[in-house]
Formats: sequence, C-alpha cells, structure tokens
Amino acid sequence: MAKNHTRYIFSMGELKRKDNSIAFRNEKGNFYIPIQDTRELYCMNEVSFNTKFLDFISRAGITLHLFNYHGNYSGSFYPKEQLVSGDLTIKQSMCFIEQRLVIAKAIVEAIAANIYETLYHYFRHGKKELKQTLDWLKNDVKKFLCKDLTIEQILFIEGQIWSRFYDSFKYFLPKDFVMNKRVKRPPDNPINALVSFGNTLLYTKTISSIYETHLNQTISFLHSPREGRFSLSLDISEAFKPIVVFKTIFDLVGKKRLQVTKHFDKSLNYALLNEEGKKIFIDAFETRINETFMHKKLKRKTSFKNCIKLDGYKLIKYIVEGKDFKPFLLKEKV
Amino acid sequence: MKINGTLISYFFICKTKLWLHANRINLEDNSEDVRIGKILHEINEEKSKKSEISIDNIKIDKLTRDYLVEIKKSDSDPEAVKWQVLLYLYKLKQKGVERKGKIEFIEKNRQDKKVHYIELDEVNEKELLDILKRIETIINQDTPPQAKFENKCKKCAYYEYCFI
Ligand code: SF4
Repeated sequence: MAKNHTRYIFSMGELKRKDNSIAFRNEKGNFYIPIQDTRELYCMNEVSFNTKFLDFISRAGITLHLFNYHGNYSGSFYPKEQLVSGDLTIKQSMCFIEQRLVIAKAIVEAIAANIYETLYHYFRHGKKELKQTLDWLKNDVKKFLCKDLTIEQILFIEGQIWSRFYDSFKYFLPKDFVMNKRVKRPPDNPINALVSFGNTLLYTKTISSIYETHLNQTISFLHSPREGRFSLSLDISEAFKPIVVFKTIFDLVGKKRLQVTKHFDKSLNYALLNEEGKKIFIDAFETRINETFMHKKLKRKTSFKNCIKLDGYKLIKYIVEGKDFKPFLLKEKV
Repeated sequence: MKINGTLISYFFICKTKLWLHANRINLEDNSEDVRIGKILHEINEEKSKKSEISIDNIKIDKLTRDYLVEIKKSDSDPEAVKWQVLLYLYKLKQKGVERKGKIEFIEKNRQDKKVHYIELDEVNEKELLDILKRIETIINQDTPPQAKFENKCKKCAYYEYCFI
C-alpha cells in the first residue's frame, strides 16, 4: 500500500524498451526502470523516445507526463485501454446539466474547509492575526454557499477564498516569499513559481487517478468543461491543493529548505525553480501525497493520493446512485 | 445483455458486484497482483498461443471429446463455478454440441487436484434459466443493490467503491 510508483527523469536522454524493462540512456550510461513498480513516468527535461517505446508502456499501463525545461506541463500519454463506460458518461452529462451547481458548491466548500485546517495550524502556533480569515472561512463562506447561486457567483466566492488565503501568507511566511498578487503566467515571484509548479504536479496526479475510474475527464462541474481536455481533474484537484501543494510549500519555505537565492533561477528574477529547487520540491511533494493515515470511513490505511481516486468514486456514486458528494476533508479524514 | 461466465459467478458471490460489473464499473484490475499479471500477459501475448476457446461471449478453458474442462485456481466458490460450467454446457448445447462438465481445482502449493463432474439435466437447466432471468432483473435496475459488509469484502476490488 502507498508504494510510490512514480519515476521522475530530470536529465536529458533517451527512453527505450529493453526486453521487459524501460531503459533510460544519457551521457552517464544506461539506467533500468522495472515496469512492475512503475505507473507514472515524469519527464522534466528533453527526452526522446519512439513509438515502439510508447506501445510498450501503453501495454504496461504506464502514463507518461511531459514537462518542458521550465517546468511547464506539455501533455501526457495514456495507455489506449481506458476504463470507459458509455452509460456513466451519459449520466455524467445529465448530472452536469441538472446538478452542476450542487457539485460546484461541494467543491468550493471543501476548498474553504481544507484551507481553514491548513491555516489553523499557524493560528494555533501563535499567529493570531489569522483569526479574521479563519472566522470568515468558517462562517461566512458557508452562509454564502447556502444561498441560491449562479455558477458565476460560486466562482466569485472561490476566487475570494483563494485571494484571502494568499493575503494571509504575510503572517507566517518569511518576507522574501510573501507575494503581493497571484500571477499565473509567467510566475513573477518565487511563491507564484512554487504554487504553479505544485498545482501542475497535483493536476497530473489527479489525471492519473481519475484515469483509474470510469469518469469522463472532459465533463467538469466547477470549471467549465470548455477549459480543457482534463477539466474534471481541475475540479477534483481543488480540495487537495491546500493540504498537498500548500502544505508542501509552507513546510519547505518555513524550514528554509527552499531559499530564494539558492533554489530559484536568478536570470529570471527568481521566478522559476532551478533544477535543484525542483528536485527538493518534488521530493517533498511525493512524500506528502503518499503520506498514509487511517481513513475514518474505510477503516484502512490510505494516502492522499489514493483519496483523490476515492473522490472520483464519490462522484460516480453521486452520479449513479445520488449519494451525497463531499470531497475529501482533512479534518474528518474521509 | 448477454450473460457470461463472470456475471453468473458474481451472481453467487455478490449482487452489488454483479450490478457494478455489468454496468461497466469494473474495478478488478486495480489490485497490484492482477495488474502485474496482466502486464506480463500483455507483453508476452505476442509469443503465447492461447488454448482458450471463445464461443459467443464465453471463454472455455478446454474442450475434449467428452468434456468441457474448467480449470480454477481455488475452490473458494464452488457454487459459482458449478453454475458457470452449467451455463457453458447450456450454450454449447444450443449450438448442437453436447458435453459433460469437468471442473479441476488446482490449489497452490498442492500437488493433487480436485476434480468434479457435472451434467446438464432437465432440473438444473430449468434452474439455470431462472438464474439468468434473475440476473437480468438485477442488472437492469437503475442503481446497484445496497452493499452490505461481509468478510469477503475485505479482499474485494470493489471494497473502496462500496464503502467510501
Ligand atoms: S466489497 Fe463487498 S459488497 Fe462490495 S462488491 Fe465486493 S463483495 Fe460485494
């Protein structure tokens, strides 16, 4: 359980099939990756491969995620054999038409609850300035979400939650990491760079997890299905951002394991992680997402990563059986 | 819907599983053992010529002059296997092929294999048709039968789905 099946490749080189293994060759030589313990392969640098290699990993059920040198996501390669269910896709579409708002609200509520948990940690450790934000998250957000709302209004509340969250960083992060505003592309300061990189990693993990369910990745509820091929993964990853991505960032920055002058690219105004920085971040991110705990409902040990898939199951149950959809809540561990 | 060997055995194992599988929420490939087995199978497929025979949507392990042979790794669900074989015999009979059933259980770590014989007769054929009808009814319901926790759930690939 919770074995890590993810391999990252940081250097330039070539991926090949060698008998029943994956071989990676760069100027230092050949490295072998056994397919049995591999489910995802992340290429963080320029890597070449041929269709024979793709056919091989497709048969082995391995997903390939490609990033460019700057850490921007380029795309993924998926095995051809997907779990598809025509019936479920039809029901999922109907659910979008009839129940979109219910699901969108549930996601926003979970974002607020998980941000609350994340911030509460700092409040408990003496950051009393967070009180106002915490109260707002706990009381006001809930009150807003009870009302009859349009999707635009729900998205507006979501935007408010994130912006208040970013505003609160000044109370507990070191000065050189505090950001004024959240700028996505290009990230214009170190914290933005971390958030972008972390969110992208989480997004690709979510794509892989949802891929193990029968959900249709293009039909989303909070995000508009027009937003991209995997917009459902954008939805499902939201609740996990505070507890996986931001928790990783806060820990690394707070403990000074990531430093502006050391781990960011100076020539780009420290607005991108350098290779060393990426490695540190990925390492901490993987540790966090694979952290295990007792799932309160299943009474089994599980990881955050598995909980992403479980949220997919919850959504299927909502779509098929009408059972309440509640994304993962850190506090309740369900 | 055509009822195959998997569905008839799920009818005896668990009705929730039957519904989920029939409605294309099939999760059994998630366990690590199964995945690895499947990977190796996939990859070596080019080489191996399978002895399996496929008729309609059922797969038969072996067909001899007298017997239809079904080989199982364990005898944990003898009732499910029995009806699976009866279904195959019935389908063969409809094609004008009459055989008796032979079930071999090859237990891991054990040399001797248990063998059971079975025949399609008037009584169990009627019962079989009744079972097929009940399966149809279950899988055509809008929602799956409520999952009830039992010991077997602990090892079931649907556990997380059923009890989340
Ligand atoms: S977990 Fe239990 S109830 Fe669910 S399908 Fe498996 S055996 Fe049936």
